[in-house]
Amino acid sequence: MSRGEQMKQGGSMVLNHEAAQAISAEKVASLPATPAQYRCPICGKISVNHEDLKFHYANEHPDSVVPIVVKLNVNGKDCEVLIEPHWTLQRTLQFQLGLTGAKQMCDHGACGSCTVIIDGRPVLSCITLAAECEGKRIETVEGIAADPKWKPLIDAYCRWDAMQCGYCTPGFLVTAKALLDRNPNPTEEECREALAGNICICGTYPRHSQAILEATMKMAEGGE
Amino acid sequence: MADLAGVNGQREHFRVVGKPNLPGRLSYALATGIAKFGIDYVLPNMLHAKFLRSPYAHAKVVSVETTKAWALPGVVDILTWEDEDLIKLSTGGFGPPKPWLDNIAHEEGAEVAVIVVAESEEICDEALRLLEVEWEILPHIVDILEGRKPDAPVIREGLPEIPSMFGMGGKDNPPKKGNVSYSYVIDGDIEAGFKEADHIIEFNLTIPAFASHMPNPPGSVAWWEDDPYHAPGKTLRIEGAVQRREQIAAMYGLPLEKTVQKGLFQGGKYCDWGMRRSQEITPLLAKRTGRPVRCVNTREQTYDFLMKQRYMYLKVGFKDNGLITAIDDYSIADGGVPGSSTFGTSGDQSYGPYYTFRCKNIRQRMEIVDSNRGKMYVSGQHCPFNWDAGTMAIYLIAEKLGKDPIEIAKINLHGPTSQDDPNPVPSFEACLEEGKKLMNWNWHPAGTKRLPDGRMHGASFRYQICPRHAFSGYDCKLEYQNGVVHLPTQGPVTGMYAVEVNAMVVAEELGLEYEDISIDFDYREKFTPVGGGSDGTTASAWAMKECAHILKQRLLEAAIEEAENPPRPTGMFAMPKPPSPFKGMNLKPEDLDLMDGKVVLKSDPSIGVPLAEAVTKNIFATYSGRPPDALWSLGMGRMLDTMNTAFCEVAVDTETGEVEILRFGVVADPGKIMRLTSLESQIDQVMYFSQGCQLLEDFVYDKKTGVKLHTNMIDYKKPGVLDVPHVERKFLETRAGNAAYGASGISHSLANTHLVIIAIHNAIGVWVDPPATPDKVLKALGKA
Repeated sequence: MSRGEQMKQGGSMVLNHEAAQAISAEKVASLPATPAQYRCPICGKISVNHEDLKFHYANEHPDSVVPIVVKLNVNGKDCEVLIEPHWTLQRTLQFQLGLTGAKQMCDHGACGSCTVIIDGRPVLSCITLAAECEGKRIETVEGIAADPKWKPLIDAYCRWDAMQCGYCTPGFLVTAKALLDRNPNPTEEECREALAGNICICGTYPRHSQAILEATMKMAEGGE
Repeated sequence: MADLAGVNGQREHFRVVGKPNLPGRLSYALATGIAKFGIDYVLPNMLHAKFLRSPYAHAKVVSVETTKAWALPGVVDILTWEDEDLIKLSTGGFGPPKPWLDNIAHEEGAEVAVIVVAESEEICDEALRLLEVEWEILPHIVDILEGRKPDAPVIREGLPEIPSMFGMGGKDNPPKKGNVSYSYVIDGDIEAGFKEADHIIEFNLTIPAFASHMPNPPGSVAWWEDDPYHAPGKTLRIEGAVQRREQIAAMYGLPLEKTVQKGLFQGGKYCDWGMRRSQEITPLLAKRTGRPVRCVNTREQTYDFLMKQRYMYLKVGFKDNGLITAIDDYSIADGGVPGSSTFGTSGDQSYGPYYTFRCKNIRQRMEIVDSNRGKMYVSGQHCPFNWDAGTMAIYLIAEKLGKDPIEIAKINLHGPTSQDDPNPVPSFEACLEEGKKLMNWNWHPAGTKRLPDGRMHGASFRYQICPRHAFSGYDCKLEYQNGVVHLPTQGPVTGMYAVEVNAMVVAEELGLEYEDISIDFDYREKFTPVGGGSDGTTASAWAMKECAHILKQRLLEAAIEEAENPPRPTGMFAMPKPPSPFKGMNLKPEDLDLMDGKVVLKSDPSIGVPLAEAVTKNIFATYSGRPPDALWSLGMGRMLDTMNTAFCEVAVDTETGEVEILRFGVVADPGKIMRLTSLESQIDQVMYFSQGCQLLEDFVYDKKTGVKLHTNMIDYKKPGVLDVPHVERKFLETRAGNAAYGASGISHSLANTHLVIIAIHNAIGVWVDPPATPDKVLKALGKA
């Protein structure tokens, strides 16, 4: 038995890629297909279904806009979510689906921390209405992390410390994945241009290009 | 080589320490979104809370009628400043005790008078709109040059003068007049110094106000849980009050054991330790409502903290060789709103910009003007040792004498033994020489070098010490359990990879690999490796190194004991241990060593036993302490050992006013590189901070209303990836620091407010106040 194996058997716990992938996969697998409950956002009353909630609104909150059920496809899973019509996708992901990788940050579409991929394009989920996303394919960082294909990218991000406080990092990583989807062999300049909408106050900018370029090489080699 | 007080401080061969590209222990959690920050928490049945925020720069809530708001469906609770529960809350932070929530707002956007709790944020907003608030609009000051005038309205009657808050600054100061407090610090004989001078220069310097660098919106979620295992009563769970569990416990009169915060992720506060009200109030609201409550400062509401603006007038006397004989510094500084720290004002005088100079005749006089601009706590970029008045003086003397500013710096920097010591430390000389090579340094007078593309070329240089914090000490614990070394720590994770450095040192000392050390995050643990960026990291690593040595000693003793008296196997089918090769050798611990995961014979390392086999019992080691001679305990300028230098090259287009930073160059001596990849990133970070405040960032107020005009990330421009210049970095390892293996770290000492500004002057021969936007450059050139 190698020393490393001994150490692991002894209980050393490391959140490595395999663990992160497993946790992310579990998050994706447990995305609810239907709303967990039909809770009135005004008074908190629980209805048995959407029709019942509509009836409750008609009686109790006749001047208010009734919550809607939106069908989203998130990380390959179909999910019906109960939201108020003005809810952003970021808020929906966090509050209804438990996905916290798309971060609440600037609320103005100015920083990229909330980036998700919709139908192949990086999109700022803090200024995208969830109701507009029906029928579209939404990818979040959790879906990317759950896919072993992206191990080289995530490994490279971690090897190069492409994060300091880490709050903005998932947004960068999602943007990087979108770049690699359309251009598997970007130049450093192309990396920088792709990431121009992501703000990192910790100043990790050069690390992202380094990580993406290293991941590109690894992925081209087909290895991990 | 320093670190003489520590075990193995003189170590020459490193297997682990200094290695690049070792992932942070929580990097995968951060990269993949697994990491949950305070405002990421969503709980069933959770309520939301919002504060009434002042639309005025200075105003008093005379009365508030809440009836209509209470009637709004979905409103669960409303508190006003007169509510007993709020009055009872204790306050922390700087300054004298004050109500936790007041009815006076000292800046636009300040939380004031009312908190609303409701089923959703939108209902909170609507309820706040339904409040009938009687405001008394008070006079405001957002321009400190206006605020210091004798006829300016007095905005803060009765509050203590700012210099008294921290015991910093001058002692026998003139009494406060109007909005202005005074702080005078006088050393030496200023008149004699100027008489001695061959030349005298006078200049004005403006330090800009720029935003606090907290990237993530601060906020918290709190709820109360049943807890049958501790004292009676429910236990508070709070997430988002990072690194303030003790403060929250004190605030709510709870034993620490009943105040639980499990989340580790703090975000990047960079010494901006001021906690927002949204991070403190949720426990009370959750208790009143019996439900979880979430409260967030949006990013817009996080422009309430700022780096204070300062205007400085300097008069500097110097000899023909450039040696400074006298400095007369008169500053007008923004005192900010109540509760601001004295760093940025009188605190800077105690740790001022001139502490490395040989000159002893220094007079610092400061006016501190009360304002309604924002709160200043302590921030990396604003650290007092980063003021660039000294850098400016060196540059201007060089200009006046037609000499290279590096030569002027050399003459004026004192040596390590005293202020009279004319010989700078070797680290300084080494940084300079490497810097010259890195930059192909060839100084030219201002406005004399044109680039082939027609733009003007400018260059600048500055030096700084690598500071030492370590003022609070560290309580370290290592646990050897079931063959694995555990390093328990409470966090938080702030982005400086502090605990990783500690783990690397433990691995180094115990003959293990970094991956072998199990870092166990637990909020109940005492050890936390925070405290001043990388220098706090190296200081905690010093203490952890001592702890590792204690553990090592015990492991070796146990290995001998178990070799001679093998423990009985435990478990039904357990086999006895194979005989140890050490049995019967009559060994002492000093005959053994730990190497590559084994206990080995020093005299013949080929004879060894895997550590997990050699020692089967569990062993704990503890150590409390810190490396000697923290900068803060000795006083600024009394410790010079490891230094750094920074350089900047710009190109200025005199037709458009555009400034391009061609490159930054940094030569830093952290003493010993502990973790290369994050050290490099820390350099990038502070240089981008510096770029931001000199070219992009500025607080703009509407003077008439006192309202901030750009509290969002579109209008308040932070550098993006396409904005930042290339940073060329080179590290030296003189091992001259006092922390682990002679490290000091660099902390944020490279942050600066005038390196770029000086380079611009060197390009075009005229001064532009930061931020040097194209319009200001053209104006300075007389073209706009």
